Amino acid sequence: MKLKPNEKIDLLEVLKDLERYRPRRKGWTWRKQVENQAIGPFVYRDSSESLANSIPLPAAHYFGDIDPQSSCVITTEIASGRFEDDIRRMRMAAWHGADHIMVIRTTGQSHIDGLIEGTPEGVGGIPVTRKQLRASRKALDAIEDEVGRPINFHSYVSGLAGPEMAVLFVEEGVNGCHQDPQYNVLYRDINMHRSFVDAAEAKHILAGGGILQLDGAHNANATAKEAWKVTPELFVQHAVNCAYSQAAGMPEGLIALSTVPPTAPPAPKLRLDLPYAIALRELFAGFRFRAQQNTRYMETDTLETTVSHVLDTLVSRLTSADIQSTITPDEGRNIPWHYNNIAGVNTARQTLMGLDGLDELLALKQEGPLRETVRELKERAVLFLEEILELGGYYAAVAAGMFVDQGYFPERKGDGIARDPEGGDRAGSVVPREPGYGAPVCSHFGNNCYPEKSCQTYGGCTLCNPDRIRYIDDLDPEDNVNKRLERPLAERAEGILRPEVEKHGDGVVCLSLFVPESPAVAEAAALEMALHMGLKAPEVISRRVLHPAEGSLFEIKGIFDLPIRAGLLTLAPQSELLDQAAIEAWVRPRKIAIVAATLGEDEHTVGLHEILDIKHGGIERYGFLIHDLGSSVPVERLLDAAERFGAKAVLVSTIVTHNDVHKVHMKRLHQLAQERGLRDRLLLVAGGAHVTGELAKACGLDTGFGRGTRGWDVASYLVKEWQSRASGVISRQG
Amino acid sequence: MKCPERTDDFEERSHHLRGLSDDELHERFWALTRRILEPLLEEARTYTTPSIERSVLLRMGLSSLEAKALVDRFQERGLLGRGAGRLVLELAQRKGISLNEAATALLNGEGWEELPS
Repeated sequence: MKLKPNEKIDLLEVLKDLERYRPRRKGWTWRKQVENQAIGPFVYRDSSESLANSIPLPAAHYFGDIDPQSSCVITTEIASGRFEDDIRRMRMAAWHGADHIMVIRTTGQSHIDGLIEGTPEGVGGIPVTRKQLRASRKALDAIEDEVGRPINFHSYVSGLAGPEMAVLFVEEGVNGCHQDPQYNVLYRDINMHRSFVDAAEAKHILAGGGILQLDGAHNANATAKEAWKVTPELFVQHAVNCAYSQAAGMPEGLIALSTVPPTAPPAPKLRLDLPYAIALRELFAGFRFRAQQNTRYMETDTLETTVSHVLDTLVSRLTSADIQSTITPDEGRNIPWHYNNIAGVNTARQTLMGLDGLDELLALKQEGPLRETVRELKERAVLFLEEILELGGYYAAVAAGMFVDQGYFPERKGDGIARDPEGGDRAGSVVPREPGYGAPVCSHFGNNCYPEKSCQTYGGCTLCNPDRIRYIDDLDPEDNVNKRLERPLAERAEGILRPEVEKHGDGVVCLSLFVPESPAVAEAAALEMALHMGLKAPEVISRRVLHPAEGSLFEIKGIFDLPIRAGLLTLAPQSELLDQAAIEAWVRPRKIAIVAATLGEDEHTVGLHEILDIKHGGIERYGFLIHDLGSSVPVERLLDAAERFGAKAVLVSTIVTHNDVHKVHMKRLHQLAQERGLRDRLLLVAGGAHVTGELAKACGLDTGFGRGTRGWDVASYLVKEWQSRASGVISRQG
Repeated sequence: MKCPERTDDFEERSHHLRGLSDDELHERFWALTRRILEPLLEEARTYTTPSIERSVLLRMGLSSLEAKALVDRFQERGLLGRGAGRLVLELAQRKGISLNEAATALLNGEGWEELPS
């Protein structure tokens, strides 16, 4: 399956022949680091190989559209409930630099004791099934070919059915996963014997498949009221999972700590978060670090969240991160919308590239409060471990409520999560292995009467011989992907378009409204306004009081329920712009003079300055010799100057007036230039908020530019025009 | 037993750690962790679960539906401790049939008396 950048991914093609699909590789892939990499005008210290196809950061166009890639893998978490929509989001995220795609599972899958099959729809995530994994992995194969970098596909092996999930993940080429028995025990109340016995088998299987594992310690940050106070315990949770994983056969290079800077401003974030991050990296040297961004203190303001996440990423760069994970800035207000996945990824890559080479500039102080706090945190963690043993071991400690207590250990608030070792989901489901116990398969942990590779006696287990895997297609005739795709594919074939944020054609849009009233009145008014704009079911998703009496800002989501037909749209003609460096290379040596002014009785010079001034990114920077005559300049004086300076172009700015004075001026400019015999050697270009190319041409000028025009657009037009005239192609009409 | 409330007694409680170098503190951290995990790992080596047994049958080429049904039956009859995979493999070998045929037979109520003890 091959993707073309200008075509949508073909979902039917993705779903075709899945029963025969085999993953092209197994296990995790890191980015390929490049030392001192020259990209555009810069040399990067902490970068990796560039992509074949991508969308650079917005400011990149000032630097030749470069798109340097950071040294860290970048994660985005995707959770729409429909994998067929997630696939499109994955492709967009990959084009923005994500190479770790984490697929959230549907609510409640942790408690399903077994595997699910087919493609049922999920809530807040997808039901992870073989078919969905296969389809997603197959699409990601094509997406990674398109962007030119391997993409790691990730989901969850926690909950019940961990060993089966682990087998499924290895078989289907999933590259990363969460696996942490403590997550089951503390947050899912799954029986702890069951969780730890299952975990050893699951981890052993994952290790055999080279799958990178993340732990679940970050959940304690997200649960505790004062998240920075659970830090002593977090060392313990990380250690329990890391050491247990190693004992189950996982190499430390595949074991990643999932760690979150615990606070957010207005807390003194770096002072609290940095010592913790350093202590963690010292105690767990050799393991991998997956730096997650803070969710604990997220509110509905996406800008506030973004700033916190920039600071989280700064902590990553001040310490280390193998994976920089991202949280969508809207997670505090809804299930993430697809463009917010892109926003989150961009926050990370923008910050990481901006902090490139930070090590060369800064060293952390090894004397004073930072070092003292690092030491204190480690000692508090050791005391925690000592108390677990004093209480009689891990199970007894959990039973006593030692974990997720809000106190700063050894302080205790007595509000920890207590679980009964003999209780919880599937209590009593652990069975002793009898003396002759056997499991004739590879990647099996613990007592076994069969040696490794004993599967060769029957032609190989599925880990050795994928042809043995039993693929099951959809079981539910209603709840499946083909049913769900009927409407979207029919609409797409008809060229029907609707806005969307999550699922195909959901119609959801978001409005920003400032209303100059007290909060309650303003909110009621904002909703009323949204209704009048034709939005169905409007709902305030963010409110920000700017002043109790002067007004509030609201973001409102609602449904725009009107299909638009693509075939009936009038498209603005697209002009292909010349490369900026090419424009400058052509212009500068030719010393081309240009005369510019606002025409007639027009005092508005702002727009013209945007086009001309080097400060505003105007055409001056390409090396034009600009003669700006100012405002309200008569046509005669403009042409006098053009003659005097030997100009090759005249740029005029004009505002559209109700009595068409602007047209009179433009026509006069063309006619007078003709009368003076200057017309053929001058390009006459008009600009202004309501000017169009058609309007200017109708008045005899060469072209016109309207609102939103940049210096680049004008320069590109001028150079193209001169180049085509030089080659004998005259495009100007009469 | 519930952990009672306690004020932060870090200063007194951590007295014995003060003389340790950073490396010694790290060693202590990991040694304590390993001691805590030892009984959990011993349990994992010597016990099994329905999910582990289903994962074995999956690896032997059974579908998830078959693995689930068969492990449920083994569990009902108290046979899980022998290993679901071993039971299926030995039945297949004894009767000279494939693993999938052995699993299907068991699901059809056949061959149970021939299972290894």
